[in-house]
Amino acid sequence: MPKPVLRGLIIVAFFALTAFVLVPAFVPRPAFIPGFAPPPDMWPRTVSLAGIALGALVLLLAFTRPRAAEEPVETDGSTPARMTVRFAGLMLAFVLFLVAIPLLGFLLSTVLLTLCIVLMTGERGHAVWIALLAFGGPILLQIFFHSALGTQFPKGVLTKPFGF
Amino acid sequence: MFHEILSALVAVATLQNLLIMIAGIWGGVIVGAIPGMTGTMAVTLALPFTFYMDPVPSILLLVALYKGSTYGGSVSAILIKTPGTASAACTALDGYPLAQQGKAGKALNMALYSSVIGDFVSNLSLIFFAAPLAVLALRIGPPEFFMLMLFALTTVAGVSGSSLLLGLVSAALGLLLATVGEDMYGSFRFAFTPDMQAGLSIAPVLIGLFALPELIKLVVMRAAKKEEAATLGAQHVTREEFMGSLKTILKGSVIGSVLGAIPGIGPSSAAFFSYGEAQRSSKTGANFGKGELEGIAASESANNGACGATMIPLLALGVPGDVITGVMLGAFMIQGLTPGPLLFQTNIHEVYMLLIGMLVSSVLLFFAGKITMRMFAKVSHIPQTLLTPLVLLLCIFGIYSIASSTFDVAVLLVMGVVGFGMFLLNIPAAPFLIAFILGPMLEENLRRALAISRGDPAVLLSSPITWVFAVLILFVLTITVRREIQKTKTERRVAQ
Repeated sequence: MPKPVLRGLIIVAFFALTAFVLVPAFVPRPAFIPGFAPPPDMWPRTVSLAGIALGALVLLLAFTRPRAAEEPVETDGSTPARMTVRFAGLMLAFVLFLVAIPLLGFLLSTVLLTLCIVLMTGERGHAVWIALLAFGGPILLQIFFHSALGTQFPKGVLTKPFGF
Repeated sequence: MFHEILSALVAVATLQNLLIMIAGIWGGVIVGAIPGMTGTMAVTLALPFTFYMDPVPSILLLVALYKGSTYGGSVSAILIKTPGTASAACTALDGYPLAQQGKAGKALNMALYSSVIGDFVSNLSLIFFAAPLAVLALRIGPPEFFMLMLFALTTVAGVSGSSLLLGLVSAALGLLLATVGEDMYGSFRFAFTPDMQAGLSIAPVLIGLFALPELIKLVVMRAAKKEEAATLGAQHVTREEFMGSLKTILKGSVIGSVLGAIPGIGPSSAAFFSYGEAQRSSKTGANFGKGELEGIAASESANNGACGATMIPLLALGVPGDVITGVMLGAFMIQGLTPGPLLFQTNIHEVYMLLIGMLVSSVLLFFAGKITMRMFAKVSHIPQTLLTPLVLLLCIFGIYSIASSTFDVAVLLVMGVVGFGMFLLNIPAAPFLIAFILGPMLEENLRRALAISRGDPAVLLSSPITWVFAVLILFVLTITVRREIQKTKTERRVAQ
């Protein structure tokens, strides 16, 4: 499917989902609204309907307008499948990071996430800097934010006995 | 008046006051340059220290922090496409492309000059026009506010890149996301989790949308690995470049000063407003968003211009215009000063000392900016594969520390993915952000205006101010539609 058509379909689908499913289900109207004030769903509904109209226009133009050449996305020459795997890996790292915070604590979770991200960028050359960034960075930042702002970072259920 | 100003100048020019202002400005620049750390945070943190100081130095410290952090936001916006503050979002649009072209030094210098001039003009307006601007600000009711915000939203046309239609789609997404949370009548909209009942904060959305897609691109596409680390490159802004942007700087300073005087608007909206106006009126408007110095000048002069002006309603009326001036109101009260019309009668010496101190701090901002620029310049020598994860680390810690909320960190990561998706679909991110910031003000004032008028939409054109904005909106829409039609015709001709 050509990109402009796919883009139009995604936009229409998203705003239609919002207008006809999410707004009725997740924007409750209060029992009493003082005076003539518009209800809470007025604005999101209006914006969603406008979004559907805009999406339809994007779709229409995708079929009728001569397709302008879009700038190619710069890559390292990897196949789309490989890039999809990298993206999935990154999403997994984000999810695991959020899941790990209550278990391992904020500090250890960020150390693992940073290490993971640096390795995922393909960086292998600066071993000392990678170690400093992944281990020293979170420790320094935690000390700074804790001492300067008094921020209390969450401790992990598993790591609490070790103090972080 | 002259005698009072002179005696205030003598009183301000003590070593202690100068050191306090230097510390405030420099601290503010550093805090503003760290993604996720805001001016509000800096001012709030410094508040306890002011308990032990005299009234004027304590307020000067807070004002210096505010000014410094507003400028500091531009440093990270230019060097790593991560606006330190929301008001620097427009600066990233042109600053980062310039940094990628090896002209980061030029961009940083232009940001500094524009900030200093904007700040200076704003301070002058505070001294000479505080009373009339405060009266004007009081005339802004919900209908005028709505029309003003609607006009500010036309900035979307200027930051939409190659497709206005996709810019509008992006703005609609931003408006929709801004509705998440509690509305003015206590309804929780799109509150899928209890954390979402409070709505989404600007900082994680802003940083997630601008900074994180760069990280995801680096991991998924690994294109930047081939690139050389960016260098500061050409440092100086030439006389021609400066003179070419001077009109924009002065216009941005005035826009910032006027909008800053209106409670609730703040530096971010002023920057968007000024950027849109500069893009419309500039000969090089088509280059905005691709690395145009004038774009940086427009954004930075307006956001710093709004800083001093936010003190106008505070000093003249006792009305804080935003969160930071709200904190400052507290500082005034703690020091036994009550902002408002009476302040000019009972504490005129302190008022003049404050005004002179603010002018002096504009000069200090210049030197602090120059020194800090050299410090942060080292950032451009770090390889992308190490710098980008470092930015992520700073973002995560900075965002968490704002509200001690893991939910905000999740929002940051999710917005990064949304930003990456928008990049893949060629949907520009800047209109999204503008709409997200202006959306709540737009909606709230529309609903208030309609409530006041018992549902009559004619209230939106009920005063001369609303008419002025309506004409301006029509003017901008006409120009934009005409430009789009011409562009389509040219594209067709090229295709044939």
